[in-house]
Amino acid sequence: MYGWIWRRLPGNAWVRALISLLLVLAVVYVLFQYVFPWAEPLLPFNDVTVDNGMAVNQ
Amino acid sequence: MRSRTVVRTFSELCVTIGTLLVLFVVYVLYWTGVRADSAMDEELGRLQDRWSSGAVGAAAAPGEQAGEQAGQQQPEGAQPEAGGLPDDPSAPSGGRSDGQSGGGSGDQPGARPGDPSGPARPDAPSRTPPRAGTAGQAPPAGTAPRAGRAFAVMYIPRFGAGWAKPVLEGTGTDLLKRGLGHYERTARPGAQGNFAVAGHRRTYGDPFKDLDELRAGDAVVISDGTTWFTYRVDGRPYRTRPDDTGVIDPVPAASGYRTPGRYLTLTTCEPEWGHSHRLIVWAHLDATSPVSRGRPGALSA
Repeated sequence: MYGWIWRRLPGNAWVRALISLLLVLAVVYVLFQYVFPWAEPLLPFNDVTVDNGMAVNQ
Repeated sequence: MRSRTVVRTFSELCVTIGTLLVLFVVYVLYWTGVRADSAMDEELGRLQDRWSSGAVGAAAAPGEQAGEQAGQQQPEGAQPEAGGLPDDPSAPSGGRSDGQSGGGSGDQPGARPGDPSGPARPDAPSRTPPRAGTAGQAPPAGTAPRAGRAFAVMYIPRFGAGWAKPVLEGTGTDLLKRGLGHYERTARPGAQGNFAVAGHRRTYGDPFKDLDELRAGDAVVISDGTTWFTYRVDGRPYRTRPDDTGVIDPVPAASGYRTPGRYLTLTTCEPEWGHSHRLIVWAHLDATSPVSRGRPGALSA
């Protein structure tokens, strides 16, 4: 998988390494900005009220 | 050759999933805290700006309250019309009178916004038993802050000298990422009744991480821009079920309080990393002092 990506990247080894780094950063950004905020409420750390935020719905 | 590809792909997959999990843990334990701390600082800064500019009472609140009341009235507004319908057949004197009675019933909903504010009000601050004598001293009910907006700062010296968190109106999930949440429909700070606040135990800045360390006599200080309210914790933290809304009643049954008073309730999750229970801390109002007289003794000590 990673070898396949590496072979697809253009340029010499340095250019490939740079592009790989950018790709990794992009993936981490997407994870932190979109994927993890979606997944985090599935964990139990948000339940701190005794009415489950009922007051908000009213 | 084929089997080597399979093994390599499988191990790459495992490494990827492992990295994802580590990143997620970093996000939950560290990044949410970074985001929440900056959001809380922002809220605190905005509060200070608002207070220093002199706009202490949220001026926008009354309009919104009226809107909410109008929304609540909808079912009530339907009742007069239903009552008007039987009138129409009973008085078949003419289309004109029908039209007039229709106009009358049309007036009624218009006049009603005044009336239901009576019935509607018990809904909102009903948790504060209306004592005429104390109403003057307490912040007027009309200055209820807008939902989702910070309106006070909480200090708990036990959690550290620098511990200061904004208190926002409402307890929604998104809101609790930016500060502590005040249960709507519970009392205002310092008012007769129960001023109930929820906060994260873990993640999002861990504001109530050490809630279980509060002991009787510990100070919880609230500032709403004009007044310092110093509450003192009573008893030990109380562990209860997640649906035990009685703990934010005006006089919580389990708290040991028996008479109406000015109370404070803090709620968070229990155990620290779970959600099977809730941890509750109660306190009573011990002292108030105007902001102009400087920080209260509980904070300078």
